[in-house]
Amino acid sequence: MEPTYRSRGVNFCWRLRYLFSKPTRHDVVVVRFAGSKVMLLKRVVGLEGEQVEFRDGKLFVNGNPLEEPYVRHPCNWNLSPRKVDNHCVYVVGDNRSMPIENHYFGQTSMERIMGEPLW
Amino acid sequence: MVKIKYLIVALLIVMVGISATFLFFPSEEKKVKKRFALLSEHMSKDSGENTFIMANKIKGISALFGENCNFTVSDYSLSGNYTREEISGIALRGRAHFSTLVLKFYDLKGSFPEKDLAQVNLIARLTGKSVYGEHVDETHELICLLKKVEKKWLFSSLEVIEVLKR
Repeated sequence: MEPTYRSRGVNFCWRLRYLFSKPTRHDVVVVRFAGSKVMLLKRVVGLEGEQVEFRDGKLFVNGNPLEEPYVRHPCNWNLSPRKVDNHCVYVVGDNRSMPIENHYFGQTSMERIMGEPLW
Repeated sequence: MVKIKYLIVALLIVMVGISATFLFFPSEEKKVKKRFALLSEHMSKDSGENTFIMANKIKGISALFGENCNFTVSDYSLSGNYTREEISGIALRGRAHFSTLVLKFYDLKGSFPEKDLAQVNLIARLTGKSVYGEHVDETHELICLLKKVEKKWLFSSLEVIEVLKR
């Protein structure tokens, strides 16, 4: 999530953030990655039912390019269109300087969203 | 005074007996956890590992698995049923990619849904250095099934939970 958040930094999570609401596009969320201790910070880019794809590093949602001012490092990622399943969101990190295969991103269940980082 | 002496000796004998029972007759859960400790030990690799140690470790890995084991590891396109011999080959090729490798398991939570069947949810962390000098640090959530065959717990299924599906 660099440069928005420092890699391996300490962040606090606001667990009640999504108790009565769902994550919206551009939200930074805490994703429970493994067990109850390993968490990832990711940005929500696609919501359930939407189609997400990368074309030459540009993110498209439902065929329209998405403005992402938080992405500082340009990339040349390509990913064929895919639909986000029900009760899921599509998350990607802000740091896209690495090859696509080295980046943890994709569709995740809403149950894995633990909250949002406090700051 | 003599009675107290006998009582203390008797208490000591009982305590030694209880300790010996726990030591020599570990619970099924401990036996299952021991299999993970062995898998971690056999998968791990030090730099400059010689052929003899490597062969021993591969043999050790093979002995931990049943005749067939189902793998679901979508990140590495490893899905389906594999025989013990195939698993040895996968382990051999996998370890050959690394000059050093450490596999550790955390937060093991076991249950016994059926007789002679154990389900363990856990976190696996793989750290090391590839032969090309790249640092590797991966963490995954796993669900493993082990079957008890001839008093030994053997891995019969291993699934890596796909949290982020591309």
